[in-house]
Amino acid sequence: MNILVLLGRSAREKSSRLLYGLGFLQNVIKETLRFFRKSQVGYKVLIMQILFTGYEALTINAIMAVSIGAAINVIGTSLLPQFGQSQLMYTILIIVITRELGPLLTAFVITARSGTAIATQLGTMVVSHEIEAYLSVGLNPISYLVVPRFIGVVVSMLVLTVYFNLFGLLGSFIVVQVFNPTPISEYLGNLLSQLAVGDVLWGLLKAFVFGVVVSVVSTYQGFSVNKASTEIPVAGIRAVGQSFILIIVADVIITLMQYA
Amino acid sequence: MKFKIKYADQIVGLFIVVAIVLFAVIVVLVGLNQRWFAKDYSFKTSFPSASGVAPGTSIMMKGFVVGKIDRITLNSENSVDTLFHIYDTFYDKVREYSILELTVSPIGLGSQLLFHPGRGERLLEEGEFIPTADSAAGKAIIEQELVEIPPKDDTITRLLANVNPLLENLNKTVVTVNRTLTEVNRALAGQSTGPLGNIVNDASAAAAQLPRTVNRVDDIVADVQTRTAGLLDQISSLLAAVQGMTGDIGSITSNLAATTEAIRDPTGLVSKLFDPKGSIKTFLDDDNVLYKRVMSIISEIEASVRSLQGIVTGLNGEMPKIAAVLNETRTAIQQAQDVLEGVKNNPLIRGGVPERATQETLYGSMREGSFE
Repeated sequence: MNILVLLGRSAREKSSRLLYGLGFLQNVIKETLRFFRKSQVGYKVLIMQILFTGYEALTINAIMAVSIGAAINVIGTSLLPQFGQSQLMYTILIIVITRELGPLLTAFVITARSGTAIATQLGTMVVSHEIEAYLSVGLNPISYLVVPRFIGVVVSMLVLTVYFNLFGLLGSFIVVQVFNPTPISEYLGNLLSQLAVGDVLWGLLKAFVFGVVVSVVSTYQGFSVNKASTEIPVAGIRAVGQSFILIIVADVIITLMQYA
Repeated sequence: MKFKIKYADQIVGLFIVVAIVLFAVIVVLVGLNQRWFAKDYSFKTSFPSASGVAPGTSIMMKGFVVGKIDRITLNSENSVDTLFHIYDTFYDKVREYSILELTVSPIGLGSQLLFHPGRGERLLEEGEFIPTADSAAGKAIIEQELVEIPPKDDTITRLLANVNPLLENLNKTVVTVNRTLTEVNRALAGQSTGPLGNIVNDASAAAAQLPRTVNRVDDIVADVQTRTAGLLDQISSLLAAVQGMTGDIGSITSNLAATTEAIRDPTGLVSKLFDPKGSIKTFLDDDNVLYKRVMSIISEIEASVRSLQGIVTGLNGEMPKIAAVLNETRTAIQQAQDVLEGVKNNPLIRGGVPERATQETLYGSMREGSFE
């Protein structure tokens, strides 16, 4: 009997949290639409968010992209000729970099760097009653605190994905030169003949969805802190965990939509 | 203030603008590479099956991509109507009598859609129908050599090109063997009128005549044996007579020898002859002993000559029969030789002449039995 009660209570709390989260998302989207029409109160916050989330993550993003592109190139160059399918290397490179790993790894990097930071920052603001202060002076914390972070993370995610694609596809060319010197015109010709704009757009769609997931989950978890400062790291951990799970689920759904 | 914070707007702006520009450059490059801004010329064709002609399939000509498949639809006649386009840079190749050829790798490495330019002068208008190589129109164009089809230069195709005639020859051989076997079967069944049937019929007739010939040979041999036996008897009696006559001749010869010895001395011969005690006296006074002796010798010689004459006459009477027997024997041996030669050379008789099964004696002595 107790188990049933516990299960029922848990289900009720989770559904209540889900509804609260959906309401939070709706509120964020509504405020985001207003963000571009109103005076740019949170403009500076947005710029700083893009700077921290996007620009500062560019280095690690580029290193990952070049490394993965090089790894795919080396593996493909050594493995595919055994099956007489050397030309598939470009296709595999494009699929892995632009459709799958580009948005996914970028989302993981942003979650690890900025997701935790956003959750921790907002949680700290809640504990230190800054949110109440904003409310007291008539500022909507969602429009001033969440929306710039939401837009900043989404834009950073999109831009970093574009950079990841560039570094992943072109960075591997450097490795090709080491193992198998190829004229850049030939490499680019083969690459561009296999690259479809649809591949890039599907990757950007994933990046957009992942950006929404990371920003909404991080801000939600930041606001979920109540009073104690010990709740702040918990909020950060939850933000990362939930973001990862939702990113993977969203990735699967979009991939299924892509191949449906 | 920290540089990054101070110039945050510029940094972020540059960060975003560079990404947008690079993205735009990639899109433009992809568009140029994939000919978004170039004019393509659409044409129609028809395939019996859609396998290997999916939308987006490249159309190749001498290793160059000259176009792509746009759309395929299954029509009411269960053919696959295909819409494809040729790039403007290769449009001058699309002349009258051009064809498309779908080549499928025999080892499962996919297919290739080839474009073969026609030898006609007229450029095909956009939307015109271009036949495939395996269609009736395409085959007619190929047979009339109105299209330029380069030789297949990949190893597998060359191997197949070599294997195909071999297979065709093998097929022809199989068909020929089949026909031959059918003919042989018909010939063996006695239904054929061709050369093989004649051979088989002749062989069959020869085989049928073989026992009769063998019987005739047996008869001839028996007749020869009989005749030879009579002849041998006659020769034996003749030899006995000759032997007796030889004895007589021997006695005559001894008498002649004695006479010759007696008259050897010519000087004393007359005196001996005319001596009152000489030979003539003895001859005249011997109570005709010598005369009788001479007469008996003459009569024995006469008998011998008569006997010899009879033998010769008998031999003369038997000579035609012996000659006939020898002729028949010779003919029979020649026929037997021909039959055996035919049997030996006949490829239809397998296994040759079966070995004779020797009949074991049914009588077993007590020593051959077991004591157990």
